[in-house]
Amino acid sequence: MTGVATQVNPLALLAVGLAGTLGSLGVDTLPEALALATCWLVVVALASPSWRHPAFCLALVALPVVSVAWSTWMLGGRDPQTTALAAVRIFVLAWPGAVAVGYVDVARLGDYLAQTLRVPARFAAALSAALQRVGGTWRAWHDIARARRARGLRRGPGAMAFAVLVHTMREASRTSIAMDARGFAAARRRTWAEPASWTRVDVGAVLLAAVLAVTPHVM
Amino acid sequence: MTIGFRDFSWTPAHARRPTLARIDLRIAAGERVLVVGPSGSGKSTLLHAVAGALGTTILGEATGSVDAVGRLGMVTQNPSSSVVADRIGRDVAFGPENLGLPRKEIWRRVDAALEAVDLRYGHDHLTSALSGGERHRLALAGALALEPELLLLDEPTSMLDAGLGDDVRRAVLDVVGDRTLVVVEHRFERWLDVVDRVVALDGGRIVFDGSVGEFRVASVPEALWMPGRPAPDPTVIPAELVTPVEPARIVARGMAVDQVTRTLRGTVRTRAVADLTVTLDPATITALVGPSGAGKSSALLALAGLLDPVAGSVEPPPDVGWSPQDPEIGFVATSVRREIEATPQALGREVDTEALLEAVGLAGRGDEHPYRLSGGEQRRLALAAAVAHRPGLLAMDEPTVGQDRDTWALVAGWMVSAARAGTTVVAATHDPDVPRHRELRLSHGRAVR
Repeated sequence: MTGVATQVNPLALLAVGLAGTLGSLGVDTLPEALALATCWLVVVALASPSWRHPAFCLALVALPVVSVAWSTWMLGGRDPQTTALAAVRIFVLAWPGAVAVGYVDVARLGDYLAQTLRVPARFAAALSAALQRVGGTWRAWHDIARARRARGLRRGPGAMAFAVLVHTMREASRTSIAMDARGFAAARRRTWAEPASWTRVDVGAVLLAAVLAVTPHVM
Repeated sequence: MTIGFRDFSWTPAHARRPTLARIDLRIAAGERVLVVGPSGSGKSTLLHAVAGALGTTILGEATGSVDAVGRLGMVTQNPSSSVVADRIGRDVAFGPENLGLPRKEIWRRVDAALEAVDLRYGHDHLTSALSGGERHRLALAGALALEPELLLLDEPTSMLDAGLGDDVRRAVLDVVGDRTLVVVEHRFERWLDVVDRVVALDGGRIVFDGSVGEFRVASVPEALWMPGRPAPDPTVIPAELVTPVEPARIVARGMAVDQVTRTLRGTVRTRAVADLTVTLDPATITALVGPSGAGKSSALLALAGLLDPVAGSVEPPPDVGWSPQDPEIGFVATSVRREIEATPQALGREVDTEALLEAVGLAGRGDEHPYRLSGGEQRRLALAAAVAHRPGLLAMDEPTVGQDRDTWALVAGWMVSAARAGTTVVAATHDPDVPRHRELRLSHGRAVR
């Protein structure tokens, strides 16, 4: 639990996430799968700031893991070995990626997409702004829930989700006007206030990702 | 010429009447124009037309033409919607980035703009931790950093107290220099000394267009805040609409409140209110005052039992009437009538919907959709919906911001009438005319005597 994951740049984090998926495709035996899963558990444990987000991601991937295990059990001759291999493989495919994506600093994602990967600047800026509004959605949920609580109204998940959706859409059109009013509509050649730098931590993360992605294929 | 409207009309999608009707208006380069008008008269729509948002981002039907020449900077009415980045430095940098400026120049402009609006936080301060007034200033900084040839401002000082409003106005004028400025404002007295020309709208039409001197003596709609006109008399609301079902006394002891921004990457806490001890008695109006960012809204929420304090205690009331800064946040229904009836129904209380509609000036509008009302009408509906169950505590967050005199008189009248009938009323406000029995002044989250 060092929290180093939050210092890694967005592209390096995405590389780490992708490494889980690539690595899982090279896993052929249960010992290999367990070894790889253990490696990822250690990496996540060392790099995450807390267990909350990794545990939440575990709950998310539990559904595909269980359903793949179930169908493998039913269709694969009820062999515990094959079932366990399938389950662990799906876990490695999905969980590290989910954890890594959660730590991406979406505010800096645009910088790296545009400056490192040379993605068109307007697209990168729009994507970054849109993703940052996801945080605004959390805030809107709170504000709307508070207003409903004050009014003594039920805050069922369906009604709340609909209210937040409507609010978000109305906000998005206002934000779009505000962005265009700050030169976004006419931006031809865009520059970036902050450089997309690569620190030793970033390079280390990418190397680690490469090792975890390639090793299962060469073993 | 910088801006030219030729016989321009605009009818928003789903609307029956045009919000702008047959506008002919030319604004020359370097002119400073103040646009005034009652709530719903089409002022914001006029700015949106200049910015090219009508028919593109905002759907509807236009006839005639509108042209604008030159690099444009605009501050829209709702400052939260203009935030594009999670940190204030990057947010202000968004415009200069779009202009393709070199990095050094971007940050020079960011610093100059933040200083001009007196936002003295570091570049990495979270935008989500800013108060309503601070967001207004951030949006303004974002526009100033563009060094625009044409600056459009929609109520740039409505969320600021008089002193800060003057500072911000001076900063705007410094940046504008000899370039073009179009500013919309309700409380416009202090702009009159610094603009060349005034355009007044009413019902989507231009009802006055002339010099400041001519404007001062012109006959303009009653709802305008003309200099020298005293604050209107608060409207008297029938006691049966405002007498609380159960009076409430609010007691807070050593209360501390944090603003929390949570992301997966970590949690940032900012102390908004510290060590606040106060008693709010029935039949009184308390005004929470202080500079923008002083913690007024947070204190208000905690006193109303809508935000848990991190230290100390507050005894929340059994029921509360909560009027948020953004009226839309509280809307739950698809018609004005159902909006008003929602809370009384949930609590099993009687409500005289027609009398309430009449009292807030929305008689005969019960079947309309809340989102299709004008800003002032939404404010009045939000008020009616918040108090329809006759709560013991009425908590209001900047209830008079951006309102014309008619809506102002209604909001003030509700506060006075409710307090007279035994309601505990508390409002976070920087409007010195809002009625009050006493003031609680906050500075950096602490009560100052």
